[in-house]
Amino acid sequence: MEPYLLANRDVQVGTELPPLEKPPITRMQLIKFAGASGDFNPIHTVESVAQEAALGGVIAHGMLIMGFAGQALATWVPRASIKKFGVRFSAITRPGDQITVRGQLTAKEETDEGTFIKIKLQAVDQKGEVKVKGMCEALLPRA
Amino acid sequence: MANPEDKKGYTFAPYSGRVEAGKIRELALALGDDNPIYTDEAKAKEEGLDAIPIQPTFMEVIDMWYGSSFEDLMEQLDIDMKKLLHGEQEYEYFAPVYAGDMIYAETKVTDVKTKRNGMAFYTLETIYRNQNNEKVMAARMMLVKTP
Repeated sequence: MEPYLLANRDVQVGTELPPLEKPPITRMQLIKFAGASGDFNPIHTVESVAQEAALGGVIAHGMLIMGFAGQALATWVPRASIKKFGVRFSAITRPGDQITVRGQLTAKEETDEGTFIKIKLQAVDQKGEVKVKGMCEALLPRA
Repeated sequence: MANPEDKKGYTFAPYSGRVEAGKIRELALALGDDNPIYTDEAKAKEEGLDAIPIQPTFMEVIDMWYGSSFEDLMEQLDIDMKKLLHGEQEYEYFAPVYAGDMIYAETKVTDVKTKRNGMAFYTLETIYRNQNNEKVMAARMMLVKTP
């Protein structure tokens, strides 16, 4: 599918981009993500360790949520156009939480190399709690 | 106890590893990312890519599977894992990385800030080069040590 900002060249600064809605996070997903990423910190997978750490149960890897944000980015801009992507982790995510990644176009400037854009993004859960806040800079190819 | 700020400038042992198509696929499945560019080379080429690209956050796979274990990293920084938070993560992309590329990575503690309440903020920067010694990516990670 063509990334949104290529298919919609006239999107103006301030516009909300189509959100990415993820299904609820499962414990199995945390196990799969541990294996995929290599982050085997047991607070993400072993209930007794998470309880000992006073977390009240296993918590999701922060990088899983950043990965969701990365998934959303590649629906908005071509993968190769992404130049910078940064996030701040602000809240714990747990199994059952349903994450939505929202983005907003915050800058757009024509340059010699293409259209430079900035996106502000947020990952929020079903209650609206912000898990991750971030930004992306991309250089879209000329139309 | 040692001053956390003494770790500023500390460089970790370099590490390297190959970007495997199977690991890109595994990450796509774990994230539930159905974008076909990560699993189907023909689809990647339709988007103008030379081969299957990595996800924006893929370098964690190289860090975790080829770098020192996290326990070891924390030991080198004198951080108790139970008092550690991942505060921020940022990537910069200079050149494409594709399945099959070799990655050579080096991580340095570029900044440490301490607060009077005992909190410490560590910034770790990793530079990633490919088989042609081309700088392809950089990562900045901010770790928070709680009192």
